[in-house]
Amino acid sequence: MTNVRIDKERMEAVTSSRPTTRFKDFMSKLWKHKKGKAGLIILFGLVIFALIGHFAAPYNPLANNAPAFQPPSHAHLLGTDYIGQDILSWFMVGTGTSLVVGFTIAILSALIGVTVGVIAGYFGGKTDDVLMRAVDVLLVIPGFPLLVILQTFLPPTLETTVLILSILGWPFLARVIRSQTLTLKERQYVLASKLSGLSGMQIIFRDIIPMLIPIITINAIFIAVGGVVAQAGLAFFGLGDLRSVNWGTELYYFFNQDGIAYKAWWWLLPPGIGIIILGLGANFLSNGIFETTKPQKGG
Amino acid sequence: MITRRYVIRRIIYMAITFFVAITLVFLLPRLAPGNPVLIILLTKYGGIVKPQQLKILESELHISGTLWQQYVSFWISLLHGNFGPSFYYYPQSVSSLIITHIPWTFFLLGTSTIISIVLGVAVGSYSGWKRGYSDSFLQSFSIGLTAVPYFWLALIFQLVFAVLVVINGTHILPVAGAYGYFVTPGFNYQFVISLLKHSILPLATLVITSFPGFALLMRNTVVTVLDEDYVLQAKAKGLSLNTIRKSYVNKNAILPVATSVGLAFAGIVGGAFIVEEVFSYPGIGYLLYNAVTVYDYPLEEGIFLIIVIVTILANFAVDLLYAYLDPRVVLK
Repeated sequence: MTNVRIDKERMEAVTSSRPTTRFKDFMSKLWKHKKGKAGLIILFGLVIFALIGHFAAPYNPLANNAPAFQPPSHAHLLGTDYIGQDILSWFMVGTGTSLVVGFTIAILSALIGVTVGVIAGYFGGKTDDVLMRAVDVLLVIPGFPLLVILQTFLPPTLETTVLILSILGWPFLARVIRSQTLTLKERQYVLASKLSGLSGMQIIFRDIIPMLIPIITINAIFIAVGGVVAQAGLAFFGLGDLRSVNWGTELYYFFNQDGIAYKAWWWLLPPGIGIIILGLGANFLSNGIFETTKPQKGG
Repeated sequence: MITRRYVIRRIIYMAITFFVAITLVFLLPRLAPGNPVLIILLTKYGGIVKPQQLKILESELHISGTLWQQYVSFWISLLHGNFGPSFYYYPQSVSSLIITHIPWTFFLLGTSTIISIVLGVAVGSYSGWKRGYSDSFLQSFSIGLTAVPYFWLALIFQLVFAVLVVINGTHILPVAGAYGYFVTPGFNYQFVISLLKHSILPLATLVITSFPGFALLMRNTVVTVLDEDYVLQAKAKGLSLNTIRKSYVNKNAILPVATSVGLAFAGIVGGAFIVEEVFSYPGIGYLLYNAVTVYDYPLEEGIFLIIVIVTILANFAVDLLYAYLDPRVVLK
């Protein structure tokens, strides 16, 4: 009987409004944190910029009816590229693609990384050994050459690139999550849940994963930025879907279509500045999350 | 301290990693559609070929027989150091191509890693020791730099030094290749100078984008070490600040930086490859870029396997070095 009652209380605690108030609490804390606020504003700004690009870019980025290699002017605020496409529109639409790429990679990688890390940490033993050896192998193989070799033999679509990057993005997160799970599973309230008869899976979903959300978010943010940069690097190397409009392909065409010879600085600057802004925003936000969710001692 | 058990275990892990890499390289092209022999014949010989030639090519590329037979013969040639013929540079072998190009990559990787570590440690140590205004400036500066993608920085250097800053028709710094057209490779003054000049921009790209990571780590460990009791005791003893900084703080703070080198190295490899592409620097990254553009699969596979071996061995060496530097570390 008592088991059932405790379980019910726990259920209520979890399903009641607590998570949402907790989220609001967290956001207001983050908003008060200087860097956290800066990070939120920067990333939100990028998303807005991409949305405007999606719905109201000044030109169709693939329409090439302007003269080629025009420096910035009133008609084309960031000039035109090698076949007369409007660079501002290219950049806006490309920002959207790159953000979606990073976001998807972060979600997929986090799913794999958290699953592997929690299972390895919670169940331990042989499972842990096997999973962590797999992580070691993946961490030691240099990422970029591996990406190149995989992308060479898989279909050159953006989806494949995202999938490859997600499959390669999780090992570090898994390692972090595993070590966190190892300490969490010794906590009093986890023992209490065990005594009350909850199964391993129930404990993982109710007691362990919710505690890990800040650290998962921080890592996912870095995976997203790493994913955007890796996709751009791959495109720059001439791999993946080169017809896709994103930051990487913009740099690829700049390099391969005489952007340097034409001194087309207006073509080169936007994607790099985009990546830098994204990187800084991510850094500020993760810093803010880290400092506002630091675990209190003795908790 | 390093036990023999640890070394044996590490060697087994390295063997497993390598086994995974080889199997991947074996399976991937066989899962992809298309017959590689036909690709060579079409690109090289216009598709006109005798049946015997077809047979010879098939056996050279390990694509005759059952999958299992192919796998075994693949392994046997790899163990002989034979990566097969290159598609594009046929009949040159992949091994000979890699051997002629890899010294340049080693040069770029080695030099840029060492400069990045030294610079990172110096900046981080200064920043953590001084604290205050210069610290927060250096920190934001480093964070800003870590967000700069190296391929973009390489392109900026290209744009600036190839076309924007050209004085009287001559470049201040060379932007392509590893040495000038008119110098003869060898141990002579002109060659060495040309070599150094050509390496400045590629090295600068790699160092600028990888030293801030080391600097941030060093800064944080210095701050932690400064809180240690032995630093307080050293101060109480009346040791000079310079001695404390050199023998107490830096020596201890540098250890976590040493462990991070192994993982950072895998990242610098990717950076070096793209930098070689941009500066036409004749290392294996540039070779890989060319292999990608001409669909030279065996060459890509060979380069991948070689760089995996190099990275695994470098990681192992770093761990051993770490245990040697820090007597408290026991690797067992």
